[in-house]
Amino acid sequence: MRPIVEFTRVTREYGSRIALDDVCLRLEPGELTFLVGPSGAGKTTLLKLINREIRPTSGEVWVDGIPAHRLKTHRVSDLRRRVGVVFQDFKLLPRLTTIENVALALQVGDLRISDGEAMDRALDALEAVGLGDRGKAFPHQLSGGQQQRVAVARAVVAQPPLLIADEPTGNLDLDTAWEMMDLFRDIAAWGTSVLIATHNVEIVTRLQRRVVTLVQGRLVRDQPAGAIGRMAWLASS
Amino acid sequence: MAGILVKARFPRRRLVQIVIANLFRYLFRGAARNWARNISSTAPALGSMALLLVLLGLVGLTGIALYNLDQVESGQASILHVYISDGADPAGVAALRERLSSDPRIASIGYTSKAEALQRAQSIPGLPELAGASDSNPFPASFDVQVKKIDDVAAIDAMVRNDIAVDALYPTSYDRGAYQRIQTVIFGLGVAGFAFLSLLGFVAVTVTINSIRAAIIARRDEVLIMQLVGAPRWMVRGPFVVEGAITGALAGGLAGLVTFGLAAAGIEAAAGSFNQFAPGITITVAAIVSLVVFGVGLGLGSGSSLISIRRHLES
Repeated sequence: MRPIVEFTRVTREYGSRIALDDVCLRLEPGELTFLVGPSGAGKTTLLKLINREIRPTSGEVWVDGIPAHRLKTHRVSDLRRRVGVVFQDFKLLPRLTTIENVALALQVGDLRISDGEAMDRALDALEAVGLGDRGKAFPHQLSGGQQQRVAVARAVVAQPPLLIADEPTGNLDLDTAWEMMDLFRDIAAWGTSVLIATHNVEIVTRLQRRVVTLVQGRLVRDQPAGAIGRMAWLASS
Repeated sequence: MAGILVKARFPRRRLVQIVIANLFRYLFRGAARNWARNISSTAPALGSMALLLVLLGLVGLTGIALYNLDQVESGQASILHVYISDGADPAGVAALRERLSSDPRIASIGYTSKAEALQRAQSIPGLPELAGASDSNPFPASFDVQVKKIDDVAAIDAMVRNDIAVDALYPTSYDRGAYQRIQTVIFGLGVAGFAFLSLLGFVAVTVTINSIRAAIIARRDEVLIMQLVGAPRWMVRGPFVVEGAITGALAGGLAGLVTFGLAAAGIEAAAGSFNQFAPGITITVAAIVSLVVFGVGLGLGSGSSLISIRRHLES
């Protein structure tokens, strides 16, 4: 089966600083993977390479069969419609209601989707994240956990094959963080690959999913699901 | 049992309606809303662009008038009136005509009798009084010589001015350098107008670019989110171009109205005193210039936005 993400000897430099150093990585469809490492290890750089916010200095990045490393700027939107993104700070449009925020992700990708269809599908996505009754609320009227759920609904409404999340629980309390993780588990179970960059040791160790560890830009460990490794450094970072 | 295959028609019209509605929403409705929201940062661009376009309209009308004046002067300068002495011998006059007719530099020769000259003078403001001041007709008969090349007027003048049939006191209508002086003035005005408009154009484009830049910075998060959820480039850039076009269209519309209003007022005011307000300037010409001003405003606004987007919105 074709991997959903494939990094082949990827290096990314920012001037003289090496953010990612010769990284090779494969993510399979439907897999839930944690990306861990201390601050500055290159986690966000790796996610940005997947979403083609940046290009690698060398190496190849393939996302769902698309060569992100040599993708022209005008084709980037094609790739981004296959990658749902969740941020630590939610990045919802404050002027739009919850349901409009979710519907936006559908309609910008396909102008043939009518308002009615977009709203129906957005409502389905909101119901899937447990916010079916908050569609008319604006982001500022929701709690942090609820806003993050809306961001997840927006990321998955177009049913992308891959979801990436950069510190999605960073602004949430532990209970809400666990709710988010349940949600990510469900999404992976539906067949979407999920890659989560996180510092949350408890979640990573308890969920026992695949864990990819970056340190100073190098991929130092790729721990398969079910294996419990030592991550003492993570607790102190 | 035989089944009946019913082929449903593909709802193409509905699909087109949906696409148009979405396009309108993302490009125009959103842009109009954002333009109204950012009016404070757009106002300087609107003002400077409107000022530029009004001046463009006025310079355009002046240019048209000068062009027509140049054409008229050029036509008049190529006609040399050779004034015939009142007491000239008819044989001498005929011989002069023969000399002129055989000259290859001359396109045509007309003749104006003294009576026709008087009649013509009476139609020119101020001259009827002069014509009536004398008992006799003071206006001479003339050969009206159309020269092929304007540069040959001086040579023809030199050839005929000492002819015995020609009036010794006032032989021809030739005014050395008059046409050149007019052309020099027109050229100077053209250069000055172009330089002035270029400077104003630069200011207007710069102000517009900065106002769009301010709009981009103000909506940076929104732009980022649109890009991250997979909005194609045209959908991110389009509203900014439309915003620039709205600014340009409003400035152009305003400037077009002012230009047309000023020209119409000038034409109206001149109607009582002169034959025309300025050479070639009619209501139709003023309307066309106003439309051009509107079009230039639209182009200037959209173009400035595109430049700004290229500089500040590349992902």
